[in-house]
Amino acid sequence: MDGKHSSSMAVEQDIPPVQWKFADLTADPRVRRRWERVRRYFFLRESTYDMTCRCNIRCEGCYYFEGDKQHVTESCDPRAWRALMQAEKARGITFVVLAGAEPSLVPELLSVCHAELPLGAIATNGLKRISEDIGYRIHISVWGNDDTSLHIRKAKDMLRRQIDNYHNDPRAVFVYTFTPHNVAQAEQVTRILTQEGCKITFNMFSAPVGYAGDLCHTPLSLRQTRQTMLDLLNRYPQTVLYSPYNAVAHTHRMGLHALFGCSYPRCNTSTDIGLGRSFRQYRTDLSWNRDAACCVPDTDCADCRHYAAGSAVVTARLFRHAVDPDTFNSWLDYVDTYLSVWVSGYTKGDNLCDKPVPPPGFDLY
Amino acid sequence: MRVGTDLDTIVLHIAQVMISELKLEDVTADTFDPDIDLVDEVGIDSMDLATVALVLRDEYGVRIDEDDYPKLTTIRLISEYIQRKLAQGPESA
Repeated sequence: MDGKHSSSMAVEQDIPPVQWKFADLTADPRVRRRWERVRRYFFLRESTYDMTCRCNIRCEGCYYFEGDKQHVTESCDPRAWRALMQAEKARGITFVVLAGAEPSLVPELLSVCHAELPLGAIATNGLKRISEDIGYRIHISVWGNDDTSLHIRKAKDMLRRQIDNYHNDPRAVFVYTFTPHNVAQAEQVTRILTQEGCKITFNMFSAPVGYAGDLCHTPLSLRQTRQTMLDLLNRYPQTVLYSPYNAVAHTHRMGLHALFGCSYPRCNTSTDIGLGRSFRQYRTDLSWNRDAACCVPDTDCADCRHYAAGSAVVTARLFRHAVDPDTFNSWLDYVDTYLSVWVSGYTKGDNLCDKPVPPPGFDLY
Repeated sequence: MRVGTDLDTIVLHIAQVMISELKLEDVTADTFDPDIDLVDEVGIDSMDLATVALVLRDEYGVRIDEDDYPKLTTIRLISEYIQRKLAQGPESA
């Protein structure tokens, strides 16, 4: 869990004076255990890698096919990838996120990465099964029910095919991306996944730079999404990997950067410590560009509510959340969720705070 | 717990906190070089710094701003930062 620190674009805010000592916040044995559990993962240092320029579907609003990164020459040489992973390990990277365009199309490269850096996650559309030899967490993208997927992603029977590939697979987490048009479908999808013994977490559509389509969230859809997330969390607690604070952080009228100050290099000129120092986003030609480096390049930062971004940006803000029991426990729930979604073998605990609390210095909505 | 506020005492105390909170091995508070680079040479990151900052907030009543972490790369720099905040009084702390 990289120390994610932002200085260049830190957001001005009025954080209330602290009434609680940290020792008091962690005095409750249940809280103390959770704190001790999550802090063991502070060693995680993440970078992300586009694996191939190819995909087997083409989705509206796809981040990969925005900007320059889609046009570079793809490196298919396993030796080059092995050398890259070894170099990454040498500079302290301990967690890899293998993404764009569709990693399952290059299984030999996934094997090379896993052999060198065994902690990580793969973002996939789930239509081609990834061998169980590759022990990364596998994030399977879901954008609504099958009718919606056919419309947005041009793929038939998508959820059924994803489930066929990954049910009873402990690596798999289905990632439901909320748009203004699929909020009501989330219950149906979650119910189906529950019946199949699968896990689900939530993502928010966040507009790519220049995107002018109708998938962008509105104040109304943000509220509807939050309520739906909370309802599903209550109704399907064994299936949904989420917390009330996740719902608040990702459906607030202000985006993640405005709430917490994004610390990915794209938004952060500091190279002294944390993500600004260690994070890189490699393109398929194995080059990287600091000016574009973040977890989902070519996202409009002002609209960013990505689950991947939050996993870095919110978790980094330990200090500002250590102000009162509800806020600190909510932060612990967020980190617990993050680890359960991203790290193989980490099992989510019960949420410590079962009510939505506002981000430090902001209101609830 | 209220601890001494002269620089040498703060340096020693921060070394103790770091060793205890970050479970550092092969070093004691007396042998911890206050000028060693905590990021480059000890390998700590800002989540570690945030943890230490919370313990120091309890003990000195001083808030170490998140945006100041990049400047606080040695125990001596952290100590001077705390001493400066203490001298400025409770408003800055």
